[in-house]
Amino acid sequence: MLKFVVRRVLWTIPIILLVILMVFGMMKEIKGSPFRRTERAVPAAVMANLNRKFGLDRPWYVQYERYVRDVFTLDLGPSLVLRNQDVNGIVEEHFPVSAELGGLAMLFAIVVGVPLGVISALRANRFTDYAAMLVANVGFSVPAFLTSTLFIYFFAGKWGGFTGLPTNGWDTWSAKVLPVIALGLGPLTYFARLVRGQMLETLQQDYVRTAKAKGLRWRRVVGVHVLRNSLIPAVTAAGPLLGFIVTGSFIIENIFAIPGIGRYYVTSVEGRDYSTVMGITVLLSILIIVANMVVDILYGVLDPRTREART
Amino acid sequence: MRRRTLAWALGLVAAFAFVAAGCGGGGGSSNNANNNAGNGNTTAATNSGTLTVAIGSEPPSLDPGLATDTTSSYVVMNINTPIVKLGPAPDLKPRPALAQSWDVNGNSVTLHLRSDVTWTDGTKVTAQDVVWSWLRTISPQLGADYAYQFYGIKGAQEYNGCKPSASNNQCNDLKNKVGLSAPDATTVKIQLTSPQPWFMQQLSHVSFIPVSKTAVQKYGDKWTAPGHIVTDGPFKLTSWKHDNSLTLQKYDGWYNASQVKLNTVNLKIITDGSTALQAFNAGNVDVNDTGWPVSETSSLKQKPEYHQFPALGIYYYGFNVKQVTDVNQRKAMALAIDRKTIVENITQAGQVPAPSFTPDGMPGASTINTGSDFLKPTADMTLANQYMSKVKSPVKNITLIFNNAPGHKEIAVAIQSQWQKLGLNVTLKQQDWPQFLQFLGPPPNSSVDAFRMGWVADFPDDINFLSVLECGGGNNYTNWCNKQFDQDLKQATASSSQSQRYQLYQQAEQILTGKNGDMPIAPIYWYTYADLQKSTVQGYKINPMDEIDLSQVSVSQ
Repeated sequence: MLKFVVRRVLWTIPIILLVILMVFGMMKEIKGSPFRRTERAVPAAVMANLNRKFGLDRPWYVQYERYVRDVFTLDLGPSLVLRNQDVNGIVEEHFPVSAELGGLAMLFAIVVGVPLGVISALRANRFTDYAAMLVANVGFSVPAFLTSTLFIYFFAGKWGGFTGLPTNGWDTWSAKVLPVIALGLGPLTYFARLVRGQMLETLQQDYVRTAKAKGLRWRRVVGVHVLRNSLIPAVTAAGPLLGFIVTGSFIIENIFAIPGIGRYYVTSVEGRDYSTVMGITVLLSILIIVANMVVDILYGVLDPRTREART
Repeated sequence: MRRRTLAWALGLVAAFAFVAAGCGGGGGSSNNANNNAGNGNTTAATNSGTLTVAIGSEPPSLDPGLATDTTSSYVVMNINTPIVKLGPAPDLKPRPALAQSWDVNGNSVTLHLRSDVTWTDGTKVTAQDVVWSWLRTISPQLGADYAYQFYGIKGAQEYNGCKPSASNNQCNDLKNKVGLSAPDATTVKIQLTSPQPWFMQQLSHVSFIPVSKTAVQKYGDKWTAPGHIVTDGPFKLTSWKHDNSLTLQKYDGWYNASQVKLNTVNLKIITDGSTALQAFNAGNVDVNDTGWPVSETSSLKQKPEYHQFPALGIYYYGFNVKQVTDVNQRKAMALAIDRKTIVENITQAGQVPAPSFTPDGMPGASTINTGSDFLKPTADMTLANQYMSKVKSPVKNITLIFNNAPGHKEIAVAIQSQWQKLGLNVTLKQQDWPQFLQFLGPPPNSSVDAFRMGWVADFPDDINFLSVLECGGGNNYTNWCNKQFDQDLKQATASSSQSQRYQLYQQAEQILTGKNGDMPIAPIYWYTYADLQKSTVQGYKINPMDEIDLSQVSVSQ
C-alpha cells in the first residue's frame, strides 16, 4: 500500500511540470496584455515599466523557469491584475470557499443520490423508479446556469418570504442551500444512475440468491452484500466528478455571487493574469491528482480483489 | 423487509430535506441579528444611515495611482477627498474640495489647500503629501496606467519614461525636474507644459488623489488592506472581503462630517446582472449599480425605481483608413447607420443617437456641435448610396471586429444588415477583450476594416475627446492623420480664450464628422448611466463622469 502511495506521489511531479508547460504555452498563445484593462491606451513607457516590473520582458524560458520555481517554493508571486494582492493570499482566501461549496455539493449528491439509486433498483420498473429517474434525468439535463437562476427566482425571490433564503452570497447557512443543491444536482443524478445500474446487475448474481436461500434477512443481504459491490462504479466516478464540480463551480459562484476560486480562475484568464492562472491551475491539478489517488485507495478497500492484484 | 429498506432510504432523503429547509426557514430571523458585518443577506436595513449597493465587480485596486476602472474609482473617490469636485452639468465647473482656492496664471497653477483635512490616523493632510503622492504616481516604479494624466505637468512625461536601471541618478534627476513643489503645508505650486484651461477640472480625477505616505511606506503593496489603509474622505474602509463585499463607515474627522447623512455603506459584489436584479427585487440591496439582463430594460424603464443619467461617453465604430481608403465610402457607411433604431430597440436605456463625436453634454457643445447635422439619428440611405456610387474602387468585403461583452454583437448584426444595403459584404469577428485590444494596436492589424470602440471622458473638456484621434495617438486605432485637425487641437491647447477654444473644437469636429470631413469614425450613440434605486434613497446621482458622491446620499425610513 505504501509503495503504491509513494509511487503515485512521485508521479505527481512530472505531471505538474507538464501542466505548467501546457498552461504557460496556451496563455502565451492567446496573446494580450494583463496591463490594458480599459479602452485607454497605456503609454509605451508605462507598459515597458510594468513588463519589466513583473518580468514579462524576459525570454520565455526564463519566465517558465520562474513559474516552476514559484510553484515548488509555494510562493506564487503577485497578481498582475489585482495589484495589491498576491496569488498566495487569493488562494488562501478563496479556495476554502470553493472547497466548502464543492464538498457540500458532493455530500449532497452522495447522501441523496445513492439512496435514490438504491430505491430505484429495489423498486425497479415501478412508479417509484420512474419518478426517481425522471427527477434525476431532469437534474442532469438542465444546465447549471438555468437551474441556478430559476432557483434564485423562485426560492429566494418569489417565495423568499416563506423560505427565508437569500438571493446571493455565502455568509450564512441559508445562503449555502441553493448553490449546494444547484451544483450537486448533476453529480447526484450520475450517482443515482450508476448505483441503480450496478445494483440491478448485482441483484441478479448467484450469491445474492444463495444468501436469500440461506435465509438471511433481506436488509442484511442488500446492506452488506449487494450495496458494497454496487458502490464500486460510484466510487470510481467520484474522482473525475470532482473535476466536474470544480469547473461547474465557476458558473454557480458567478450567479450566486460566491467569493470562490472558480470565479477568479476564469477572470484571471480573461484578464491575462499569468501568475494567478498558473497558481490556480497547479492547485487544481494537485487536487484532482490527490482525489484520484484517494479513489484508487478506496477502490482497493472496497474490492479486495484489486488489492491482491496490486501487491 | 423491502419496505424497511425503502423506509430507511426515504427517511434519509426526508431528513436531508428537512435539515435543508430548517436551515433556511429557521435561520431567517436569526440572520438579521447575526449580520454584524452588515452583509444584508435578507431584508436590507432601510433604517436611515445604512445604504446597501450592488456593484458589478471586485475593485482591482484601491490605490488612487492604480485605480483605472469605475468600481475602484467609486470607492476611492468616496473614502478620499479629491483635489476639487465637479459642479453640476452642463458646466461641470471645478468646486473647492481639498483645494479651497486656486490661482491660474498661464503655465502656473497654485493650489491653496484646506488646513483642516485629516487622515484617519489623525495627522493632517499637507501639500507635501500631495506632491509626494503625485511624484509616486508618475514614478516609473509604480507603473501607473494613469500616469499620462500628469503629462501636462512639466517634466512628468520624462520622469515617467525613465528606465529605473542601476544608475538611479538619472531618474532622480528627472524626478527633481518635475514642476511640482510645496513651499508650505497648504500651498502646492504646479508648472505646466502649456496653459491648459481644463487643468483645474482635470484635478477632479481619481489619479490626483493624495495618499498617506506613512501607510504606503509602512505596508508597501498591502497598504490598501483594511486596518492598514489611511484615507481622508467622508467615509473610511472598515472591511473588505475580496470578491464579496466592502464596508465603508462614516469618518467623523472629515471636515464636512456634519453634512454626511449615511453612517454605513455596504457594497456587495454581485457580478451577474440577473442575480443583482433579484437581489434588488427581494430588498437585499437598496441600489442596483451592477445592471440587469438587457431584455429587462424596457420593462424596468417604466418603474419609478429606474434612474437614468446622461454621460460624457460615446459608442462608435472606427474605420481603418488604410483599408477603407475612400472617404466617400466611409461617409456612405456612416450615413447608412440607423442610430435611432439601435438605441430604441437594442440598447433601450435612453442613449442618445450621436450625429457627432463630441457629446451634447460636453461644456461648450452648443458651439462645438454647431453644423453637426450631416449625420442624422436615422439612416439616410439615399444620400449614402449617392456617396457609395462616387467610390472608385469600393472595398466590398468588410471585416468588423468587436469585443465579446454583452450588447455589442446585437448592434454589429444590425449594422451589418444596414451596410449590406450598400452592397457590402460584412464579416463579424468577436474577440475577448485583451485579444481585441491586441488586434487594434495601434496600428491595427491589417485584417481590421472596421471596429467597435468607446470613449468616456477623463475630464469635461472636449480636448479629451478630440485628442483620441490625434495623429499617432495611443488611442487612435484608425491610422488616420490630418494636419489641420492636429493643428486645431494644438492651437486650442495654447489658447486661453474659452470661446476661441470652442471655435477650434468646432472646426476639428467638422473635420471628423462634417459634410466635408474625413469620417475616420462613425459615431453611434452617447452613453447614459442607469441604475435602480429604492424610493427610500435620496441624492444618489451619477454625474456625467460616472462619479457618485455618497456624502450627498441619505436613506429615509
